[in-house]
Amino acid sequence: MIAHNSMQMLETNGRDVHLPVMNNAPPAPPGAGDGVDTTRRALLQRAIAGAGGLAALFGSGSLLTAEIARAEAASVLDGADGPPANHLERMLADLDRALQKPMEQRKWVMVIDLQKCTGCKACTVSCVAENNLPPGVVYRPVIEEEIGEFPNVRRRFIPRPCMQCDNPPCTPVCPVSATYKRPDGIVQIDYDVCIGCRYCIAACPYNARTADFGEYYNADTPEIMDYETRPNFEYGREWKREPGRHASPIGNARKCHFCLHRIENGMLPACVTTCLGGATYFGDYNDNNSLVHELVGSTRVMRLKEELGTEPKVYYLV
Amino acid sequence: MLRTTQANESTASPSGSIDVSRCEPGVSRRRFLASAAFVGGAGVLGTGCSPRLTGMEIGADGSFPEYLLAKPESCIYTTCLQCHVDCQVKAKHWEGVLAKLTGNPYSPQNYLPHLPYDTDLHKAAKADGKLCAKGQAGIQTYADPYRLRKVLKRAGPRGSNKWRTISFEQFIDEVVIGGRLFKDLGDNRHYPGFEEVYALRDRSVAKALAEDAGKVGKGQMSLAEFKRTHAAHLDKLIDPDRPDLGPKNNGFVFDAGRIEHGRKELMKWFTHDSFGSINAFEHTTICEQSHHIAFDEITGGATHHMKPDLTHCEFVLFWGTGAFTANFGLTPMSEKVTTGKVERGMKTAVVDPRLSNDAGKADWWLPVKPGADGALAFMFMRWMFERNRFDARYLSNANRAAADADGEPTFTNGVHLVVIENGRAARPLDAAQAGVGLRGQRVVMRNGAPVACDPDDASTAVEGDLFAEGAVNGLPVATPLALLRKEAFSRSWDEYEELTGISLAMLEPVAKELTSHGKRSAVELYRGPVQHTDGFYAGAAIITLNVLLGNADWKGGLSKGGGHWHEFGGKPGNVYNFASMHPAKMTTFGPRITREKARYEDFSYFREEGYPARRPWYPFTDNIYQEIIPSFAQGYPYPGQILFLHKGTPALSSPAGHKIIDMLRDPDRVPLFIACDIVIGETSMYADYIVPDLTYLERWGTPHVTPDVTSMTSKVRQPVATPLTDEVVVDGEPMPISLEAFLIAVGKKLGLPGFGADALGRGMRFDRAEDWFLKAVANLASGDKPGEAVPDASDEELRIFREARAFFPKSVFDEEKWRRAVKPELWRKVVYLLNRGGRFSPAESAYDGPYLKSRLGKMFHLFMEDVAAQRNSMSGEYFVGLPTYRGQFDAAGKPLDPEGAYPFALITHKESFGGHSRTISNYWSNIALQNENHIIMHKRDAQRLGLKAGQKARLVSASNRQGNVKINDAETVDIVAPVKPVEGIRPGVVALSWHYGHWAYGSRDVEVDGQRVKGDPRRAAGACPNPVMAVDPILNDVCLTDPVGGSSSFFDTRVAVQPA
Repeated sequence: MIAHNSMQMLETNGRDVHLPVMNNAPPAPPGAGDGVDTTRRALLQRAIAGAGGLAALFGSGSLLTAEIARAEAASVLDGADGPPANHLERMLADLDRALQKPMEQRKWVMVIDLQKCTGCKACTVSCVAENNLPPGVVYRPVIEEEIGEFPNVRRRFIPRPCMQCDNPPCTPVCPVSATYKRPDGIVQIDYDVCIGCRYCIAACPYNARTADFGEYYNADTPEIMDYETRPNFEYGREWKREPGRHASPIGNARKCHFCLHRIENGMLPACVTTCLGGATYFGDYNDNNSLVHELVGSTRVMRLKEELGTEPKVYYLV
Repeated sequence: MLRTTQANESTASPSGSIDVSRCEPGVSRRRFLASAAFVGGAGVLGTGCSPRLTGMEIGADGSFPEYLLAKPESCIYTTCLQCHVDCQVKAKHWEGVLAKLTGNPYSPQNYLPHLPYDTDLHKAAKADGKLCAKGQAGIQTYADPYRLRKVLKRAGPRGSNKWRTISFEQFIDEVVIGGRLFKDLGDNRHYPGFEEVYALRDRSVAKALAEDAGKVGKGQMSLAEFKRTHAAHLDKLIDPDRPDLGPKNNGFVFDAGRIEHGRKELMKWFTHDSFGSINAFEHTTICEQSHHIAFDEITGGATHHMKPDLTHCEFVLFWGTGAFTANFGLTPMSEKVTTGKVERGMKTAVVDPRLSNDAGKADWWLPVKPGADGALAFMFMRWMFERNRFDARYLSNANRAAADADGEPTFTNGVHLVVIENGRAARPLDAAQAGVGLRGQRVVMRNGAPVACDPDDASTAVEGDLFAEGAVNGLPVATPLALLRKEAFSRSWDEYEELTGISLAMLEPVAKELTSHGKRSAVELYRGPVQHTDGFYAGAAIITLNVLLGNADWKGGLSKGGGHWHEFGGKPGNVYNFASMHPAKMTTFGPRITREKARYEDFSYFREEGYPARRPWYPFTDNIYQEIIPSFAQGYPYPGQILFLHKGTPALSSPAGHKIIDMLRDPDRVPLFIACDIVIGETSMYADYIVPDLTYLERWGTPHVTPDVTSMTSKVRQPVATPLTDEVVVDGEPMPISLEAFLIAVGKKLGLPGFGADALGRGMRFDRAEDWFLKAVANLASGDKPGEAVPDASDEELRIFREARAFFPKSVFDEEKWRRAVKPELWRKVVYLLNRGGRFSPAESAYDGPYLKSRLGKMFHLFMEDVAAQRNSMSGEYFVGLPTYRGQFDAAGKPLDPEGAYPFALITHKESFGGHSRTISNYWSNIALQNENHIIMHKRDAQRLGLKAGQKARLVSASNRQGNVKINDAETVDIVAPVKPVEGIRPGVVALSWHYGHWAYGSRDVEVDGQRVKGDPRRAAGACPNPVMAVDPILNDVCLTDPVGGSSSFFDTRVAVQPA
């Protein structure tokens, strides 16, 4: 016999459809689910009450009904079951709002959701391509960890850009004041002033700074191709590289600047737009309607090495 | 009259110096050359520079200047090909230099959800979509210092890495005419040219020969009668005594690795329709072909690929694949999974012997033993059957009407009775034979009584008993579901654990989750379970889990994808129907050289030799890449004459692919070998000639979308970067050297119909790539239905279109020539589409209430009648017509030798930043992120062997005891890589990724025109796992192969790990 009673009738978009459940076993013992209103609305209300509430409501014998409720709850969270919201579009709108304010009133922050980071390293390469970084210079590595023992083992990936600290240990050590905190929160390097002493590199507790020794990926091949000699556009200027010519940023300390040249043009940082897991968020913390403001309020929030008092402006959700 | 001349004579300066060329207006461009020999002195850059849009200087008030790369005039939209996901790319250029690749925000693969199609180009220029590390490093595939610019002809024995550059014109002359092409090297052999192999030229003769040759093959016509009838044309045949092998034209073999829509159709246009050879191949069996064939058979031919609707799934079981590193692919799929998990409460589990990125982030990891996927699928089935957790109501529906009554878009033949004959499910029970209905109808058991059933009947619902078994009219019968349940119950939980390495305790939470979300739960499979000798059956068993859930076509269930518009025509709205445009299409006949899509029993060989065949015949599958060159060289079913290898490197990329090296090095076995490649590759290095190709960033294509995307999508690949190959003039048309230039030049020189005047229909010439590809684009722009054309580009969009392409040389972008390739009224529509890189329907169009809008709507075949009806050509036994698990076996069907002296199972994987064989030039990723691959093994295994992290070790196997590859008489490449001990792998398994272990592709020195070009040793780092993979013990010259799906076996090899 076919267990037709394993179906629940639901009304969706004016049509009756069956929501089958993978359990053709005899119905739960009398009493377990009796008297419970299993209409869509009732299910939703219970689902919203939370999983703990479900167990209390249905008791242990009615896994079946609880599962239906759970399925429906997911749909509610999904925003009326439509396409998911486009975080990038929302952040672009946040960015536009921020750019209408004077620079001093913006506070750029980044939020990285480690549950969403897949370790794909698209951000690392995107940053290299955007800023035309040479060998040895990396602004946003992704640190990999393996935790546990077989078969209970997991992987964790931690992207690590410049933290744009409010109390940056890197700026006070610069003998020529080439690096400083901008009013919008970004720690800038003035390549024209930097003398390449690398004190700042040693001072950063996050290893976020690297030195540009003027290398080329195509060195020792038949030709240095022009993707390596085209300028980058850091800090709103054109910085061209040429083999044999020692000019900034060659010889300078270098680091992530949240793609300031893009931000100022209403574009999100390259790591944010390319993040395959949708794990990286950016925006103005001074705008409490911004997505980043919302995310920093998460119970999952943490920052790296907070005990140092650096006040990093990169937040992680764990 | 054909005329090919060299354009762009050398502007390069001597080795080691700097060449300065000036671009207008007033921008200098330097080239930094270390070696002029390799690049052949081509002076490509600076042929056209785009006007400087503005300079970038900070304002006096500290305000930032406009960002040049944020302007629509700096952007051209195209399609990636760093892998087959074919992401939509926004290519940004700075003064003609390809500067940055990002995702196209108009595309559902790269922006979630994507921008409306009518979004202004200025807004889209500022909205970058996502693109993976591999895709972004594509700049380095294009701008590779080891790219070929000129045609190379070997200047020593094959594989000696000695070359000289020759003109394109000389190349075309030599390969078309043939002769003693290498007599200057002391080789007096005659090399066949195209003229000679193009033996059968009359299409009406071809048609008559084909018809009767087929009859001879099937034994329906005597050879004597054939010879009498066709006496005048026997010289056109490969073998007049076996006319069913086809014409001599079949001696031309187009062996394509990664070829995609656009070029794929052009390959067939040239090879089949114009030249009359049946041999045009892709490479699918080294990817996941058995998975496609499993879908194909189980859906009755309705589709070969389905994917979960990840945006709405609540649980996904990823099987031998994932969303985060490869598959179809990490760019479109990752966020659907991460957002689903974090924001919707979606859960995932991963079946994989290695803790992949996906497994490392999943809720459950099932580290299965390699090769036991089929057993694990039956373990799930046992759990589901035992606990009654499957969609019984769905499965009881026996026809369309029953499905309709339940609101089910699909149904199955799971309750259609099959006849058991000699212990096997032989065929469906016919209603006439059962005495309950008409011939051709099926039979179900309903409450113990047989009932006739017409699967397509939409008016009378028929339901069947799920697990009926017994006899009807004396015939033993059972339902496919009963047979599946029987196999599932044939092994105890302990036996399952022994086979799979997965205990019931590990399985149970996953199985429970899988069956707890109604239609919003799905199993996703790709390479892992199917690149085995039982790949087809493992794939079918895993797909069956979805069928038991009844999730197909439901929102959040299994999706066949949103589909695409038809660029090659055939729909009412299309303007150009390519299928009917060929002026003189040839009839091809004879078996493909791989014997694919062919029944052994239909050919004279079977009548002469019976079982076993000399090599396997493959009735169900095609594109059996690993078999092309061994069959060509062994001359079975017939010897090849001209091997044309395009964008493929089987010596590196096929399991045990190194076995073809000796075949390729022998001109007596492979008479003329032409390769079309962007570099000197691991296989093209053995060619007589290499004709340089364009990379995907310099050329056209119309790739298709995969079912992960649920809204309708059509993509276009178009030039976004100045070609690096030399410019040549073919019959008056300047163009970069490329596959297209080669096919057009050979076509015209031979006088093939389908090239030149009236080639694409009356009044439509085929002289340039655009003549072909822009017609396909015009079909997309006009749409499948009348009245659904895209809008016309405005004057402003037309201006942006031109300015964005101003840097191209005329040989690439000549607006007049582009415009004349399509009907005048379509030009602005074509521009509108090219300005967006394709055509995309809105995200919300993907659904229809609780269903997907684009639906399969068909019957699933749990019993695959046509599989059960065919015999294995090597054993003469019938194939099994149901999903089953029988372990792994060789070509004769004999179980593979267990471990012996080789204690580890070898598996492979891709990192998120690398392709299988052609990303080693990508320094940003394959060097900077990770500069070699590792032998990954469990810490306890490494400890037992005394191997430390970073210590170099060698892989050896029964078929490669030395653990190396001999690439020519003088050089050997070792399969040696550092050991990486981890917790995240099943003990007893070792994993080695691809991407590394190159012995060509710029990794070693070559000699060109007498000058040494230094290789880059960084490209030789690491090891390629393929050469240690098992060679089939029966055939001895090719890897193990799935006899049904054709997949090459990547995961059935036992290896030992030795300190190096």
